[in-house]
Amino acid sequence: MSPSVKEAVGAGTSRGPGTVGRISLAGIVHSYGREDAPVIDGLSLAIEPGEFVCLVGPSGCGKTTLLKLIAGFEFPEGGQVVVDGATVDRPGGDRAVVFQHSNLFPWLSVRGNVELGPKLAGTGRAERREISDRLLEMVGLGDAAEKKIWELSGGMQQRCSIARALATDPSIILMDEPFGALDAITRERLQDEILEIWRESRSTIVFVTHGVDEALYLGTRVVVMGGQPGRILLDLPIGSFGAETGGDVRRSIRDSTAFLDLKRKVRDTIGNPGKEED
Amino acid sequence: MSSNSIKIDGKLPGQDTPATVATGATAGPQAFPSPGGPARNDTPAGTGPGRVGQGDLSLGDAEVDGRGGQGIGGREAFEATPPAADAATEPSVKAGPTGTRRKPRVPRWAKQAAVQLSAIAVLIGIWWAIAAAEIWPPLLLPGPQDVFHQLFVITGYHDGIRGYSNYFLQEHLWHSMSRLFQGAGYAILLGVPIGILLAVVTPLRWIFGPAIDFLRNLPPLAYFSLLVIWFGIDDTPKVTLLFLAAFPPIVIATADAVRSVPADRINAVRMLGANRFQSILHVTVPSVLPEVMTGIRLAVGISFTTIVAAETINGVPGIGGMVSDAQRFNATDVVMLGIIVIGICGLAIDGLIRLTDRLLVPWRGH
Repeated sequence: MSPSVKEAVGAGTSRGPGTVGRISLAGIVHSYGREDAPVIDGLSLAIEPGEFVCLVGPSGCGKTTLLKLIAGFEFPEGGQVVVDGATVDRPGGDRAVVFQHSNLFPWLSVRGNVELGPKLAGTGRAERREISDRLLEMVGLGDAAEKKIWELSGGMQQRCSIARALATDPSIILMDEPFGALDAITRERLQDEILEIWRESRSTIVFVTHGVDEALYLGTRVVVMGGQPGRILLDLPIGSFGAETGGDVRRSIRDSTAFLDLKRKVRDTIGNPGKEED
Repeated sequence: MSSNSIKIDGKLPGQDTPATVATGATAGPQAFPSPGGPARNDTPAGTGPGRVGQGDLSLGDAEVDGRGGQGIGGREAFEATPPAADAATEPSVKAGPTGTRRKPRVPRWAKQAAVQLSAIAVLIGIWWAIAAAEIWPPLLLPGPQDVFHQLFVITGYHDGIRGYSNYFLQEHLWHSMSRLFQGAGYAILLGVPIGILLAVVTPLRWIFGPAIDFLRNLPPLAYFSLLVIWFGIDDTPKVTLLFLAAFPPIVIATADAVRSVPADRINAVRMLGANRFQSILHVTVPSVLPEVMTGIRLAVGISFTTIVAAETINGVPGIGGMVSDAQRFNATDVVMLGIIVIGICGLAIDGLIRLTDRLLVPWRGH
């Protein structure tokens, strides 16, 4: 699918790589109104354009909250979320979200879901059609464009969700355990596809996951969070295992000393080994 | 074929050892289409399911005879070429142990209809017998034939009299339906937007929420007197009554539905760039459609049950008016006919709403 990804993502990108998609979190405090028990307390994190940041950590450590703050679904009670120089005050098409459960609109067809973003932006019918054709082809749903959402398998729904997120040509893609509910084979395939999308689009990706393997395989940087209140325990630039190699050599990556060393390091930080999948 | 035999058959292929096959007592791979599947006779003999002993195990019936030839082939398939058989009979293999093993000769709906019609026939028979025995005077309990006779009397001219009270049955019915459609129609037109408004604007909900709950808990007859005082005895108080009966359930269903739209669904459209109005239009409205349709169904049901009450005062023409008028003259057969017609009509309307629901909300349950 390599050429089609290149074509598809390239066609939609109107900006040069590495210019937009900068995220800056400074002194974030958030408690969902319960100030005695903040979910996140004094967290700062700077993400450069084009980084693939994986957030790992135990449940309830504030990973998803962090994602919601960047997305503009929530606003911090303290501190600032700045994206490309502007304080985040609402959700927007520049920051696409892929949810854990695909969260597609069941009253729209697969194509309708993908085209909704461009439609809201006032894009004309023909151009919308072109966008959806291109993205659906890219995520392997070219033949399923007119299907109903509930006719898709879990993996296909998540592909559609990715296509919907890409349709607004976002500079930042926020993914909240997007492959958590999928079977292992589908998950691996989608991991490689998202890497390919990232390589071609050079979007900034913030990817929340429970899986240390997944985080190490996908990310150029792994941020380990701890809970109560949520804070950063380890910030690890790792270079990108999967990104440089393609994914055909997944097994050898996973068995490599460098990978295993990092894995041990991350797991020790989380202090919760044995809870990982894979 | 009863579900009994289905279950018995269904267990066997999965559990049976080849020994069972050798006895010829059971079937090959469960190669049977699900109930609605293609006719079994189409199955090629080579991959055909073994049917030989089927009859012995289940409720042996005539169907077995037609299949003897296939049975042998099925056995071969089972023993020799499981993969091929799998491929050739994939859908039915999927159906697996729970799938039906034979195609019922009589479709299920036909059986259901037959049973239901017979039940109704029996009921009418009992009614007829009791009426014929004249335990109670015919004035109190007319027989079914009397009620049926009224159907002809009221739908035409009889002894120079036009229908009942100068209106045919269908005219009575039409006037009632027209009131119902007006009352429920206004309730839908006003109730849905007001429900959305109450859900979105919290102070409005504080003010009007309890008022709507109050209204909903009132028996419609309680305020009908007031409506008659205010609006007189023509159609206005009747339509208003039906409106007031239908309005609260729709408002409440809509408001509850709007408030229970998952936050992430709204987030999903807002991250695509939607403003507040767009997110209501593109996500809230379709999201609440299933619950609103349920509310409408409930509301129409309630206002339908209110119709006879609404037409007790000056209700002719109107099916409720006809019933209450007939009651005054002890025309029990007309009353009973009216009841039956109202009941059937209610079922028809409910069916219509459910059909609309299915067309409008195909994603319900997904």
